[in-house]
Amino acid sequence: MSPRLTTGLGAFVDWRRVAVIAAVALPPFLVLPLLVGEFFVHILAIGAYYIVLAASWNMLAGFTGQFSLAQHGFAAVGAYGSGLLVYHLHTPLWVSIPAAVAMAAAGGLLLGLLVLRMRAIYLSIATWAFAETLRIFLGAAYDFTRGDLGLSVPSLYGHVRPIAYYYTFLGVAVLSLLLIHILLKSPVGYFMRAVRDDPMRAQSLAVDTTRVKLFAFVVSSAMAGLAGALYAHYVLTLTPSIVDFSEMARIIVMVVIGGMGSFVGPIIAAPAIYALNTWLAAWGEWSMVVFAAIVIIVMRAYPAGLSGLLAAAARLWRRRSKPSGTTAAV
Amino acid sequence: MMAGAPILEAQGLTKRYGGLIANNDVRMTLAPGEIRGLIGPNGAGKTTFVNLLTGLETPDAGSVRLDGTDITGLLPHRIAAQGLVRTFQVSRVFANLTVRENLLVPFLAAGSPGGVREGQDRAAELLDLSTLTPLADELAGVLSGGQRMLLQACAGFMIPAVRVYVLDEPFAGINPVVKDTLIALIQGENVGKGRAFLIVSHEMEIVRRLCPLVTVMIQGRVAAEGTLDEVARRPEVIAAYLGRAAA
Ligand SMILES: Nc1ncnc2c1ncn2[C@@H]1O[C@H](COP(=O)(O)OP(=O)(O)O)[C@@H](O)[C@H]1O
Ligand SMILES: [Mg+2]
Repeated sequence: MSPRLTTGLGAFVDWRRVAVIAAVALPPFLVLPLLVGEFFVHILAIGAYYIVLAASWNMLAGFTGQFSLAQHGFAAVGAYGSGLLVYHLHTPLWVSIPAAVAMAAAGGLLLGLLVLRMRAIYLSIATWAFAETLRIFLGAAYDFTRGDLGLSVPSLYGHVRPIAYYYTFLGVAVLSLLLIHILLKSPVGYFMRAVRDDPMRAQSLAVDTTRVKLFAFVVSSAMAGLAGALYAHYVLTLTPSIVDFSEMARIIVMVVIGGMGSFVGPIIAAPAIYALNTWLAAWGEWSMVVFAAIVIIVMRAYPAGLSGLLAAAARLWRRRSKPSGTTAAV
Repeated sequence: MMAGAPILEAQGLTKRYGGLIANNDVRMTLAPGEIRGLIGPNGAGKTTFVNLLTGLETPDAGSVRLDGTDITGLLPHRIAAQGLVRTFQVSRVFANLTVRENLLVPFLAAGSPGGVREGQDRAAELLDLSTLTPLADELAGVLSGGQRMLLQACAGFMIPAVRVYVLDEPFAGINPVVKDTLIALIQGENVGKGRAFLIVSHEMEIVRRLCPLVTVMIQGRVAAEGTLDEVARRPEVIAAYLGRAAA
């Protein structure tokens, strides 16, 4: 009776627009690493990693209304999943990475089931507890995980020259964004937003809200898992600190400043904020305090974030250029 | 009137909230294509009855049959997809979706074979009938109360299988123009498509116009059934309304 969630996938995608945006936006990022120093390429690579985390969390929290605080946890499941497989079983990476993604997806399903009937704040607390449990486990089970000593994992390409990893993370980010865009421009994306706005109304209009929420949890966790696994084989040493709450806070900062529930905002905000974070690293934890303050101000005063600002600017621009229509093309 | 088999059949529906019996052995049958009124003082249990019919609450006892199929205890989204749809007394819309998107959601969710194209055509038709076309691409959050109620009602019509449509106080607090639009919409879907309606309302003028038969609920029970003028003469009905007014 009820259709599969993937029915009509991409039904509302404007492919020409996607192609144009890709053709305009991608080339600069393909050329960029050839023009800047290695450290900057490294920053860009990690920036792309955060794009995946921010965009996938935004799909879950901003578009589906499930304010989970475990996105960094799923990145860690991906990282440790692949790392531990290699460490203990000497699994090749082309097996361990997909396996880690599957683990993250399964974890997302499990957590999704657990918090299915919870509302707002309870869901946040439960998902936070899940991530904390994972962090404590990674530290305590040091026989298995090497705990704070750190788990050594091999690199993806047998070397760690940033440029190769930059292109890898860029590719994963682009594919993730494309998938998220297609999902949002599909029936299931409409259902996600309906669930966010009013789950009870959605149910009464034939939307299987349970499946929609679980779908969002699984897809966003799998994406975080993939990003985390690749990250592991770039940084080469894993410690439980990747599940520190400050990691989740950073993702939230990126999405909120970019604009929750906006597709583009967080994509721009993620690398920008990571770069700023690195630049402000001299202030240590204080830089997070500054960002937290900015988030509170943005949420209070301007919940639309960066994307709202961009939209307002675009409106202003159109209004200014409209009356002069035929005369100037400036 | 009751020639064929009923399209909706509620039997012995009972719902307790602590010590309060919100619905007590409520029964009702609707004929295909019928427009029934459901009246009764505030707190009589009308909304509870609607919630029991549509799966939002599970009855402590009793059953609901839609076109002969037992749907008691099914999840709300399944009941809606099978063609028993409702609106809410406090109008609920998806505030951050556009008006048009609000209409597409139920169409897509009900798994309509015709695909997106057919949904867009149907949405355009309903937007016209409800005079919401100029607002089609605005966020539903900007609509007035009356426009929200119209949008809420139209959303239900987007489910192709709708056979019974339950509207919980659709006319409360909306202006006369919107009321007329909504009445025309209901009549059009009733006459053209043979859909049955159950309309909860306190607006006796509209009930008289739309509903050949009404059911009266008082204190969780069905107290009377008949034409509006018949039931209005019943002493227990008068007492309930007067008691209410006097309280
Ligand atoms: N979820 C609930 N919990 C407790 N009591 C409820 C609940 N829903 C309804 N009631 C009570 O049940 C009675 C019937 O309410 P309702 O069905 O809303 O009446 P009506 O729609 O006819 O005004 C009222 O006394 C109301 O307070
Ligand atoms: Mg009511």
